[in-house]
Formats: sequence, C-alpha cells, structure tokens
Amino acid sequence: MTQPELAELSRFLFEPLALSLLTVSMVAYLYAMSARHVPRPDGTVATSGRRAEQAGFVLAVLGTIALAAHIVVRTLAAERMPLGNMFEFSTIIALTTVVVGLVVVVGRLKRPDLMGFLLLGAVLTMGAALLVYTEPGPLQQVLGTSWRAIHVSAIVFAAGLFTVAFVFGALYLLRDTAERHLRASMPGGSVGAARAVDLADDDLGTVPQRTSPDTVEGDVAELEEQFGKEHRRRMRAAIDPVRLAVGTLLGTSAVSWVFWVEGLRAGQDLFGSGFTRFVTVDIVMVLAALLARWAVPYLPSAATLDAMAYRTIAFAFPIWSFAVITGAIWAEQSWGRYWGWDPKETSAFLTWVAYAGYLHARATRGMKGRNAGWLAILAFGVLMFTYYGVNLVISGLHSYA
Amino acid sequence: MAWRWLTRMKTALIILAVLGVQTLLATVVPQEPNVPATVADWRSGVAGPGTAVSQVIDVFGGYDVYGSPLFLALLLLLFTSLTACLVPRIRAFWRSARHGRPPLSRNITRQEHVATFASPLAADEVHARTRTLLARRRHRLRSADADDLGDGQVAAEKGIVSREGGSLLFHLSFYVLLVGIVLGQLTGFLGQVGVVEGSGFTDTSQAYWSTQPGRWWGYDDHTDFQLELDEFRVDWVRDVRFGGTPSLFEADVTVTEADGDVRTDTISPNVPMVVDGQKIHLLDWGYAPRIVVSDGGRVVWDGTTTARVTDDGSFRTAVKAPGADPDVGLAVALYPWAPPGEDGTPQITGAPWADDPLLVVAAYRGDLRLDQVQDVNRLDTTGLDLVDTAFVRLGGEVELADGTTVAFPELSRWAGLQVSRRPTVGLLLAGAALLLAGLVPALYAYRRRVWVRAVDDPAGGSMVTVAGRAFQRPDAFTGEFEDLVPLLRQELDAVPEDGPDDHEDAAPDDRGTDDAAVAVTSPKGGDASAPTTPTSGEEKVTT
Repeated sequence: MTQPELAELSRFLFEPLALSLLTVSMVAYLYAMSARHVPRPDGTVATSGRRAEQAGFVLAVLGTIALAAHIVVRTLAAERMPLGNMFEFSTIIALTTVVVGLVVVVGRLKRPDLMGFLLLGAVLTMGAALLVYTEPGPLQQVLGTSWRAIHVSAIVFAAGLFTVAFVFGALYLLRDTAERHLRASMPGGSVGAARAVDLADDDLGTVPQRTSPDTVEGDVAELEEQFGKEHRRRMRAAIDPVRLAVGTLLGTSAVSWVFWVEGLRAGQDLFGSGFTRFVTVDIVMVLAALLARWAVPYLPSAATLDAMAYRTIAFAFPIWSFAVITGAIWAEQSWGRYWGWDPKETSAFLTWVAYAGYLHARATRGMKGRNAGWLAILAFGVLMFTYYGVNLVISGLHSYA
Repeated sequence: MAWRWLTRMKTALIILAVLGVQTLLATVVPQEPNVPATVADWRSGVAGPGTAVSQVIDVFGGYDVYGSPLFLALLLLLFTSLTACLVPRIRAFWRSARHGRPPLSRNITRQEHVATFASPLAADEVHARTRTLLARRRHRLRSADADDLGDGQVAAEKGIVSREGGSLLFHLSFYVLLVGIVLGQLTGFLGQVGVVEGSGFTDTSQAYWSTQPGRWWGYDDHTDFQLELDEFRVDWVRDVRFGGTPSLFEADVTVTEADGDVRTDTISPNVPMVVDGQKIHLLDWGYAPRIVVSDGGRVVWDGTTTARVTDDGSFRTAVKAPGADPDVGLAVALYPWAPPGEDGTPQITGAPWADDPLLVVAAYRGDLRLDQVQDVNRLDTTGLDLVDTAFVRLGGEVELADGTTVAFPELSRWAGLQVSRRPTVGLLLAGAALLLAGLVPALYAYRRRVWVRAVDDPAGGSMVTVAGRAFQRPDAFTGEFEDLVPLLRQELDAVPEDGPDDHEDAAPDDRGTDDAAVAVTSPKGGDASAPTTPTSGEEKVTT
C-alpha cells in the first residue's frame, strides 16, 4: 500500500469505525446501567441490562482494536511512532481511557456501570482530536530522540489516567450532592451516610467489588424497591439542571475559548468556524453533564466514586512527575537549559501543582470530600488548558502541535 | 500565632494556589525574559490587548512574573511553611523510627480484622514463632510483658517508615532542587553566537552576540576554546503538504581547546557537543549574503552579514557603511526562493530553501549614528532619506538612483550556536530522583498493625487470635491479612514432638471453630466498634 492509501485507511479506522463502535458501546453501557436497576413485579431484577452490557463490552473491545489498528496503520503511514502532534496525543489519551476502563474498571473492579461514562470521556476526546486533525507526516528533527518516546508516552498516558479520574471526580460531586440532599430530606435515613463517614479517614478508601447486581449497595437497593421511580426523581431533583448547565458552560468555556481565539488568529470572522468549535465543545459538555445528572441514581455511592478518583490520581501523579522530569532532561539535551519557563513547561508544572494540591487536600481535615473533589475538577481544567490552550494559542517552543 | 498559621496545610495550599494563579497569568501574558519582542509589541499596542491594559500589567510586574518580588516572596513563604511543617515531622519520624513500637491491643477481638484458630503449640511457643515469622516479613515488633495486659501478646507494625519516610524524602527533595537551581543560576553561563560557514569564534565574553552569565561567573571562567564552522547543512521536506518541516539540520565543527586538543564533531538537534563541561547546541540559523556597496567607484562596504528569518519567510539584515559621504545604510530582505514569474517580476514563495535567492534592498543616506548602541541586523531609519529600492539576484549588481551600486556576489549560511555551562545539572537530577523515590512509597506504602495473642488451653495447645488493622489502603490490607492468617496457621501447626496431629485435623474439636476453616471477620460498613481513625496525630500528613 502506498503512503496516502495507508493514511486514508488509518483515518477510516479512526473515524467512522472506532468512533462509532465506541459511541454505540457507550450507549449500550449507559442503557445497561439504567436497566439493571429496574425491579420486576415478581421481585427479580431485569436481565435486559446484562445483555446490553455484554453487547457494550464486545463493541468496546472491537472499538479498542480498531483504535489500536488505527495507531499501527498511522505509524506505517508516517513511518514513525505516532507521538508527534495533538491529534496523535488525543488518540492515545482516548485509547488509555478505554483500556483502563475495560481492564481495570470492568475487569478487575467489576464496575461496568461506570464504563458508559468512561467511554463518553474517550469519545469526546476522540471528537476533540478531529478538531486538530493532522495528516500523518514526518516530524521536526528536534523530535527525533528517544527522550521523545519516553517523555511523550508518559505524559500522554498520565493524561489518559487523569481523564479517567475526571470522569470519576465529576460523577462523585453529582452523586454526593444527590446523597446529601436525600439524607437531609430523610432524617434518620442511612443512604450512603455511614459509608461516607467511614471512608473519609482512609487515604485510599475502599472500592467495594460488585459481584452481582442485587447485592450492590444494599440500602440503596432497598430504597429502590421502596420508592422506585420516586427515589430516582428525588435524587435528580437534588441537582438543579439550570445551575449544572450554566456551571458546565462556564467551566468548559474557561478552556474552550482557545478554539475561538485560534480561529480569530487564523484570520477567520468573529463568528467563523473557530466560534462554531467553541460553541460545539460547550454544548457537548453541557449535554454530557445533563446526561450524568440523569444517571445519578444509577451511579455507585459517592464514597466509592471518591475513592476511585483518588486512586486513579494517586496512580497517575508519579507518572506525570516522571514525565515532567524527563521533559526537563530532554530540554537540557535539546536546548541547553532544563527549565526556561516556556509556557508548556510552566503549565505542565502547574498541572502537577494542581494535582499535588488535590492529593494534599485529600489528606487534610476540612479540605477533603467536596473541596478536594472540586480541586480535582480544577486540576483537570488546568490539564486541558495545558493541552489545548498552550498548544493552540500561546506560542512557545512546544508549538509544533 | 503567625507561626501556627504558617505551619497549617491550608496555608501552604493557599500559597500554592496564589503561585499557581501567577504562573497561569505568566503563561497567557508574554514574559520579557522569554519573548522580549512580543512584550515590546504588547507595550506599544501593536499586539495584545492595548496600551492601557499593558500599563496595568506592567504595574503588577506581569511581564516578568518569575522575577517579580511578589513571586519570589511567596516562594520564600512556601519554603518557610514547608520547613515549619517538616521539622516536627522529621523529629517525630526519627523518634518513631528509632524507638517507636506498636502498642498492645486492649481489645484484640474488636479490631477491624480478626481471625481465630487453635494451635497444638503452647502459648509461649506460639508467640515465639509468630515473632520469628513477622520479623521475617519485616514487621517491627513489640513483645508483651505479661503484666502489661494480663496476658501475652505479639504486636507488630509495618509500613510506617516507608510511607512517612517516602513522604519526607519527597518533600526534602525540593530543597535539593532549590539549591541546585539557585546555585546553577549563580555559577552558570549561557551565551549565543552566530558563526558564518568557514569562519569561527573564540570563547571570550566579547565574541558572543548575547550572554546571560550567572552572578558568580567571571571573565576568567571562559575556557578560551576556538570553534570553526566547517560546514552547515539544512534541508526541508519539499512536499506541499508538509512544506517547511525541517528534515536536516546539522553543523560540522572543529574545536581547538585551550590546551591545544583539536576535535571535530557534528552538532545536530538533541546532540550537542561537549567542550570542557560546556554544551554547544545548534539552535538557530540563517542566510549570510555577501554584499558589496560601491559609491562612485569606491568600495564602501564589502562584507557578509547574518540575516535572520522573519514571520513572512524573508531573512532580514542591514548594511551600515559609514565610509560613504553621507553614510549609506541598506535595509536588506533576502527571499531564498523567489523565481521570476512570466513577466519577469519575482514570485515570492516564502519557502526557506535557496533555489532562487533574491535580495530586496532599500537604500538610505544620512547620519547612521553608529556611536549609539544598535541592532546590527536592523537599520534605524529615523533621520535618514530613502534613496531608492531595488532587487538584486545572486551574482548580480544593481545601480541605484544616486549612482551607488549594490552587488550580491555570494550567499552562504550562518549557524546560531549556544554555549551553556550548567554546573548543577547532576544535583538537580539527584533531586528529581529523590522526588520520585519518595513519591511512590508515600502514595503506595501503607501502615498496618498486626496483633497475635495465644492463650494456653488446659487441654493442651492454645487458642490463637490474630487481629489486624490498616491506617491506609484498607482494601490492600484485607488481601494481605487473608494471606497472613493461613501462613501463620501453617507455621503454628508444626507438630511438636509428642503431637499426634497432622495438618488436616489439627484443631481440637471442642473450641467452636471449624477445623478446616479459619474464622476471619472483616469490617462491615458502619461497624462503630472498628476504629478507622488513627488514634494519634503523628501519622497524619501535615505538609
């Protein structure tokens, strides 16, 4: 096959193939999440959810294979490791998210109910990758060093893990709001309360393994039977959709404005395609937040989500540290200075500081819980700014993306 | 009061947050030490948000955040806060590492994890063997003297040194990094110089275009090596899709060190040359046109200038010839690939390869004021009169309106080299290694205690209770405890000389335990008796 043919094939494997497979898998998993909680009149639990879950798993595996194949073909098309530009970074972040989801979250922790949202994160990352699509091609010579493979793969892997942690952290905040509301409205009620208090002092918390759908969170399941639809309604009602939508819009805009500014820099009209990108990203994120609100009653307990977010960040943080250090080593080798306050270096360091802040807050009385949760969201915002903002808008030595 | 405030974690987090916000601003606002030209454009209003905003930024030192007093003061405050946190922690860590012994459990059956089984061994023997086993598994032990709690007990602890020690190592590595950075700033040297192909330079302060010496760097610290640029090669991917991506960028150099050693080497991106502990990087390049200017038949300028690339792909330089009367100044733009179009006018492509170079000159007359400090590559046209503008092709010559001729006989290239001395890189690397070495156990090691109590059974053998509790990562400990109990049981099952039992039916039948199964209880959610909060404050992270 010729180079352009390989390039075309790699593009096809990415979009539509992998993107649509993972999107359908996401829908299947989200459906399974909601269906498994439907009790039948005879007292058994619906199995329709399980079929959808199996279908989702198969589709996710196929999508992962397609994505991995895309990376292989792209490697052949460009005749180099695909670690050279933003499109390629995004692809690997998405791959990391899906693989961590399938292997750790579904495989080891037996938490398929979270897979839908991890897939949502991966699909959105892939969609955003298409906004910065680059044809496979050769690299600048400065990138031709083994440090690139080490530094870039570590930083992209850590970014994928942080994406997973963001999904957990955002869901934790929503679920926590709902649980608090429920607890407050039912004096003496025990939904999640005891557990949340117990786990609060444990550094890494416990992630209870889920064995079968009906042993999950006994008290929630009980309430489910008692109140059913009413219970779900009340959980969702705890989260004001307007506030959620506006908050998500503003939060996303804190980063997504770079698409608009990039468009203006490229000489587009004020409301040109850069503006369209900016608005699209914002709307998609708001829709995702509203989807999460709908899913709140089906989510694991807030304490579990919090523990999972913490563990993911605790795992990713040393990898990110390592990546920043190798970046400094590479800079020393390549530019003769290990640190130059280049915007990319600075913001990668800032991301490190933000996640370090989260880890410290998690270990500090009065800061843990929701405060730490918000810090995790903020840290992810800083990461996204480091990734999109600095690459697209701010010129520096790293602006070859 | 102020000291107490400073030692709080919340304070440290707030300082860190303020530093973070400053740093974020510094990523958005151009920084003078990094991109002085962009800052100048912002100040003059050519680019950026306008002069009014620019003045506000200047008031807050926004163009040099990392050098601003506020930034440095906060950094100092952060390190003070860190020190205030670390000193008591190190003291406590030292004490516990040397003398700390796990406490006995008053209520062994009410710990988080409890298992009971029977052993054919006497209680004392059980305790002795348990101690050996736990010591082998690198637990620190405390023996129970009998009158302590009224019965014998083995208390063991593990993980405190690696977790707290790792955390301390992680935080102490910042001091190593700080020392490395500050010392490196003071004793380091950075210099940039452009060298035209076929010529060279000597490592003295005057030879560099620009230098950033550390405060403790002296003229004597130059090593006086000589460098010749033998050949400089540059090429690009000449494909419309990826046009302009460099594919080759390297320089062959010959270096004569002060002691007379001669070495040849090739410098390319990522592969600097090391001379006397200094690294020579190839960072910049440009074209070096030779330009000859004659005024009335007399050559007033014949020289090679180093033209630098600009945003539109042209390479700009200037010629300043004070020998003419009045002075002649040329503003020069070189377009490397500007083939003639159908009507003969040059087609400017912006491509960097010199397939068809074109020189565009604007000639000025007047006082060049060369007694003032000037950029060699830029002609300050204030007070000068424009004489003429013209194109010159390589090998060609053109006569301007006032009779001056400009010739362009030769085109070579220059390479921008950077000489840097970073004496503390090794120290910084060590600091980074300490950081990672401390970080991993600080996050993953966990502190846990195990208690084993055996009570002699009048019928022979003893009843063994194993209890455990983790301070962090309770789920990891659950697995460890589940592994430990059978191991301990096996160890304590060893048949004494007169014992009749073998492994399968080791437990006497009248103790209420299954002989096959070990009764293991694990914590249930909401079990109030299981203490999940560490009882003493020392193991809480405070920094």
